[in-house]
Amino acid sequence: MMGQQGKLELYLEEQIEHCKKRSKQLAADERMDEGNFEKVRANVYEIFKTILSAAEKVCGKDDLARKHFFLQKVEEIPANWMTSYEKAKQHGDVEKMHIENIKLDTIREIKDRCTQIWEETT
Amino acid sequence: MTEAEAISLFKCLADKSRLQILKSLAVEDMYVERLAERLGLTAPTISFHLKKLSDAGAVTACKNQYYMMYSLNREIFRTSILEILQQESDEAGEQEQRDADYRQRVIDAFFEYGKLKSIPTQLKKERIVLEVIAEAFEFDRMYSEREVNIIIADFHDDFCTIRRDMVGEQLLGRNGREYWRIKRD
Repeated sequence: MMGQQGKLELYLEEQIEHCKKRSKQLAADERMDEGNFEKVRANVYEIFKTILSAAEKVCGKDDLARKHFFLQKVEEIPANWMTSYEKAKQHGDVEKMHIENIKLDTIREIKDRCTQIWEETT
Repeated sequence: MTEAEAISLFKCLADKSRLQILKSLAVEDMYVERLAERLGLTAPTISFHLKKLSDAGAVTACKNQYYMMYSLNREIFRTSILEILQQESDEAGEQEQRDADYRQRVIDAFFEYGKLKSIPTQLKKERIVLEVIAEAFEFDRMYSEREVNIIIADFHDDFCTIRRDMVGEQLLGRNGREYWRIKRD
């Protein structure tokens, strides 16, 4: 049976794959900006896939420590994105605001899904 | 419309979603949520596209009770692409200078002490050479063929070819017996 780590990895890999596929489809459909937004999403999933690997290296087999490490990063990383969003808002930079929003939405989704996986397996 | 504005507009239009938004606005004015529902996109994505369209001057916005209503800027779309192409380029001065430099290089290469060294093979270069020779003719004066030949012979011995080509290039006019220098528009 697949453990927490495996499920999380699979979820993130599936999302990355989905975003990349969608990005290509949108670009082929002459919707380049939306295609780029999918790349932004994929990038966020990539970041958290890397964090998941780091969590394993740092915390070893300790599920609770890994969860704590991962969730801590989920809270820490978007802080910069939030600041960036606020700054963009002040300057009326709609494009930047939209990109930061996508990143924040994606991380919210990652947090929810990861919490769900942890609850299912504990 | 300036070149920068035209580029910005064309870049903006080269996107299917934005084109769909404009098509919807061509039907009637709409607000973000209505466009989002109609086009199957999220409201933030629609807002993003509308900002780009607004920056390019393709749409205008005005507050209508609770909503921001977006309208097609019909005025900008009445401008034909040909009109945009026919406007003077921002680089017109530089282009003119490059053309003048090229012309001078051709003249320097083919003329020596006022004599034509050889008739250029390339039509573009021959045209320049013929224009220089044409300057030896006065406007509003009729020339006999003999007079034409003498003037051309000052530049090159093959006056027959040059005379014929000057007529072909519409630098000289001919009515059977006489020649004259054609004025350019």
